Amino acid sequence: MTPGIRRLYAPRRVAVEVDAEGIPLAVAGVEVVAVREEWLVEDRWWTLRRIWRHYFELALIDGSDAVVFRDSGARWYRQRA
Amino acid sequence: MSVPYVELHAHSAFSFLDGASTPMELAAAAAEVGYPAFALTDHDGVWGSMEFAHACRGFGVHPITGVELTVTNHRPRSRFEPDSDPNLDHGPFHLTLLVEDAAGYRNLCRLLSEAHSHTRDNTGRTAGQPSVTLEQVEARAAGLVCLSGCAGSGAVAGTWARGDPAEAASLARRLLDAFGRDRFRIELQRPYWRRDRARNRWLTGLAERLGVPCVATGNVHSHARGRARLQDAFVAIRLGTTLEASEPRRRGNSSSALASPAAMAKRFADHPAAVAETLRLAETLRFDLTAELGYRYPGSENPGADRELAELCRARLDERYSGPKAGRRGEAASRLEAELATIGKLGLAGFFLLHRDLLELAREVACEVRGPESARGVLPPGRGRGSSVSSIVCYLTGLSHIDPVENGLFAGRFLNDEATAMPDIDLDFPRDIRETLIPRVHTRYGADRSALVAAFPTYRPRGAVRDLGKALALPPAEIERVAKTVGFHERGGELERDVVAAIGRERTASRGWQVLIGLAAEAIGLPRHASQHPGGMVISTQPLLDVCPVVPAAMQGRQIVQWDKDSCADAGFLKIDLLGLGMLSAVERCVEEIGRTRGERVDLSRIDFTDAATFESIRAAETTGVFQIESRAQMQMLPRTRPRTLDDLTVQVALVRPGPIQGGAVHPYIERRKRQREDPGFEIPYEHPLLEPVLRETLGTIVYQEQVIEVSMALAGFSSAEAEGLRRAMSRKRSEAAIEEHHDRFLVGAVGNGVPLETAERVWRQIQGFSGFGFPKAHSAAFGLLAYQSAWLRIHYAPEFLCALLNEQPMGFYPPDALAHEAQRRGVRLAPPDVNRSRVLCHVETPGPGAARSRFESNSDSNLDRARSAPEVRGGLIVRIGLGYVKGAREEEMEALVAERERGGAYLGVADLASRAGAGRDGLERLAWAGALDSLRGETPNDPWSRFESHSGSKLDRAAGGRRRALWEVGTVGTARRLEEGAQMALPLEAPPAPGLEPLGEWGEAIADYRMTGMTLGEHPMGLMRHELGDELARSSDLERIEDGTAVEVAGMVVARQRPETAKGIVFMLLEDERGTVNLIVPPPVYERHRAAVRASPLIRARGRLERREGTINVLVSEVAELRRTQMDDVAPPGHSFGR
Repeated sequence: MTPGIRRLYAPRRVAVEVDAEGIPLAVAGVEVVAVREEWLVEDRWWTLRRIWRHYFELALIDGSDAVVFRDSGARWYRQRA
Repeated sequence: MSVPYVELHAHSAFSFLDGASTPMELAAAAAEVGYPAFALTDHDGVWGSMEFAHACRGFGVHPITGVELTVTNHRPRSRFEPDSDPNLDHGPFHLTLLVEDAAGYRNLCRLLSEAHSHTRDNTGRTAGQPSVTLEQVEARAAGLVCLSGCAGSGAVAGTWARGDPAEAASLARRLLDAFGRDRFRIELQRPYWRRDRARNRWLTGLAERLGVPCVATGNVHSHARGRARLQDAFVAIRLGTTLEASEPRRRGNSSSALASPAAMAKRFADHPAAVAETLRLAETLRFDLTAELGYRYPGSENPGADRELAELCRARLDERYSGPKAGRRGEAASRLEAELATIGKLGLAGFFLLHRDLLELAREVACEVRGPESARGVLPPGRGRGSSVSSIVCYLTGLSHIDPVENGLFAGRFLNDEATAMPDIDLDFPRDIRETLIPRVHTRYGADRSALVAAFPTYRPRGAVRDLGKALALPPAEIERVAKTVGFHERGGELERDVVAAIGRERTASRGWQVLIGLAAEAIGLPRHASQHPGGMVISTQPLLDVCPVVPAAMQGRQIVQWDKDSCADAGFLKIDLLGLGMLSAVERCVEEIGRTRGERVDLSRIDFTDAATFESIRAAETTGVFQIESRAQMQMLPRTRPRTLDDLTVQVALVRPGPIQGGAVHPYIERRKRQREDPGFEIPYEHPLLEPVLRETLGTIVYQEQVIEVSMALAGFSSAEAEGLRRAMSRKRSEAAIEEHHDRFLVGAVGNGVPLETAERVWRQIQGFSGFGFPKAHSAAFGLLAYQSAWLRIHYAPEFLCALLNEQPMGFYPPDALAHEAQRRGVRLAPPDVNRSRVLCHVETPGPGAARSRFESNSDSNLDRARSAPEVRGGLIVRIGLGYVKGAREEEMEALVAERERGGAYLGVADLASRAGAGRDGLERLAWAGALDSLRGETPNDPWSRFESHSGSKLDRAAGGRRRALWEVGTVGTARRLEEGAQMALPLEAPPAPGLEPLGEWGEAIADYRMTGMTLGEHPMGLMRHELGDELARSSDLERIEDGTAVEVAGMVVARQRPETAKGIVFMLLEDERGTVNLIVPPPVYERHRAAVRASPLIRARGRLERREGTINVLVSEVAELRRTQMDDVAPPGHSFGR
């Protein structure tokens, strides 16, 4: 990215606890009460920067919504809902 | 454990550029993961359904027939609603329709036919989006199960996704009303998109409100996850854009690949009832496409057909076998009775009568097309080809022109007591007759009861590189370089080497090209779109629309069924092949031209079939332009086999085929023929005495298809049906396993007949090798006869024959440029296009003042007639290139130009031409570039004949500025303008005097010739380059005098390159220089080193060793280099490429 330019809404690393199936149980220590949506993005596979993201839209116990995704390296990120 | 789920929504590659797997791949994958039943629901068609049904049957999976139908729902607009508001036009959307019973299948076929009926109504007749209205669906709901549609574009889910739940619910209610509670389901999908859960929650609620079950589907688009990338690329190709730009329209992930029933049940864990419903529904979908079509052909139910056919044949028997043929009457009669008995047993008399009826129709059409006075009138309307030529019934009913008794043809391949499939009768017609005949068949049997068979052009390497390269946004120049390098029939695995040869290792290693190489390997062989078979037609007693959807073809007045020839055969359809054969058209044109120029009527069935000059030319391999024996391989063979009779030509035509080559027949046949010539007492070494009766005529080798049948019957005791089964296994795709099934039976049978096991194995290997492709003898006899007739015309009517070949292009082995040069070398005179002499087509003209009358000449033809009858004219005919050869010139403008010249006399100058001919500036410029205006320059009105002094750019013309001057004049005079109502003529204002313009020069004219007509009649490019190439370079004519084994270097234009499957990677090239042609043999290592030059360069030089074998000369190449010449690379004919 060009120096000095900051990407808006860039995904940020986040700690996510998951169950045996890989479904989030908690995001940054906040318990998940419901999985609203779950989707998969596989894109740009024809480039050297291919995208593989397993997304979850979650309802957290504190009443907030969270959109998180796991990438192909099993790292978790939080993205603006 | 019971299977939890059945897939009810899947696309194959027959959802063109959407699905990415073949029906066979889907069926195999479904069986592997344990599906008991599986539905194929391609977009708006059942193109792949028959293939899928048979594949599923083979794997023990119940095939469910269905489609994903595109529907529009144009609800009435109020006058206040704008036309362009997309929200008001609810559609197009998709419905998933599944066939429950035969009535439902008929409704599906009708719906699909209606959906396609207006797809080619545009002026270019390009295929548009098929669709039906919701009302049409409602009218044909019986026997069909309707699912509410896919997540993205489905009638209900898609409408909800577009933000209109009320309309979605309303549509669902309409569908429920149409299909009823038992046959309407709300379709749930889980494509792993963002709103899956919300959508399925809403759909489930809707289903509860409507009181109908939900059903889960996978919307499968590929048989394996690995193929999902190709599916992405297909979407981009379909949309004509890049992968990057097509992101919103792609599926977004690989979850649309076929998954196991357990995985699907897990995917829909929130909707177990919808999963269970797949099983319940599948139980009701018992329609069997492989057994319930109920097709019949006209005449099949005629109880008197046997008697009618027998009477017809017996009456013709007396006519055909009288006079010199009377001696064969007894044998013919017993063969006829045997065939009639077989036909009666198989119930096929109506089949033969129908074909005869068609031939009679063709006869009427031929009379119309040829005209009453035509010299072609003595020729039959068409000819048989293929195995049917072996049938005496076909011979007597006129469906074949070859006497099977005289030619010793074996009918078992065509017709036998144990046949299970409909026999094939293929008929060849001249192209013009065929063009008229096909719509006439529609008229005769009913537009709703006859249609052409579909064909599915599949991805080949070149097309895959172009399409995928564009989708991947690779540099266009690189794509084009690679596309020019890859072979048309190349296997996917070889692509990487071609890419390296074209753009280098570094670029090949880039991510984009690596992805393309991987995707192309998967894409090759998949159908890209639907097209029409060259001539296969199906005819039905009941409306075809009830057994297979019928859709408009690209050509006006034609329609096709949605199945290709294999599916039609599997459906038991009677398929009639009305094939257009270029050479048949050419010989007819030739006969017509002979009549016109010389006043002679030639009946090709009564020519001398032992003509010494004709056979001499064949043995000398002077066969350029001759049917079937003109290829490089045939020319290499002819001096060695030395045909002397029509029977020899029958073998010759069949010999250079993959079957005999791979079966090891060719070299033994040539060697034994040579030994027989040298020693008439030479005894043929048969593998076993049992083979002598069946292989005698081919000297102990298997050359013909039916010899496989005969050998397996004679050596291994196969029944005729078993032997036919073996032959059929050979003719099917991926046949190795099917052939191998007969192996043990063959060995056991042979050993039982006292044949040693090793001998039986050896013969089996010959049979196995033959499986590539071979001709039946009957077919070879038909083609051998046409080969002889064309050779005879070439020898005795050279100008007319060449003219006919040029007018029938594209056809044959040689491009027009090579045909013209070869003819020039043997003294045939050719002249370039000329607005004052040429017609639209090429024609043969007599020398003299010219075919065109000047406006000062009287309207009498007496001068021309006198010229034609003068004895000195007969040997001096000239083949005049037609204006139709000028690339880009509009046919209607050229026709108008010729018509005006015939009406008002010769054109006096460019201004006169521009003011009278009606051709626009573009057309006139093209004519000028092609040299067709050369004769208009320099003359004065008082000297109208001066323009006829030269036929091509003479020194005088060039001194005057050549074609540039003509172009300048076209640029300065007014030209006609095209208007809606026609052309607005220009005023005949003379051009001002031209400035001093540099002539094009010889190279410039050659390049202009190639650019504008694809051929040059002037100095050969190699002649023009010769002085630059050095003295060490041998000319083609020098090779005759060079000793075997000598190192040589040659150069030339590439006329043809071949890389046959049978040649183990060797490339054969034919070069042409100013004296003749040179055969090159390029071994695989040399090919690998010089791949780009061998594959794509129009001009090359090659170094190697001269090899001389039994009258043939080749250069075994060790080095190849491009011969670059500015502009020639772009305009020179690329040469014909054959094989991989």
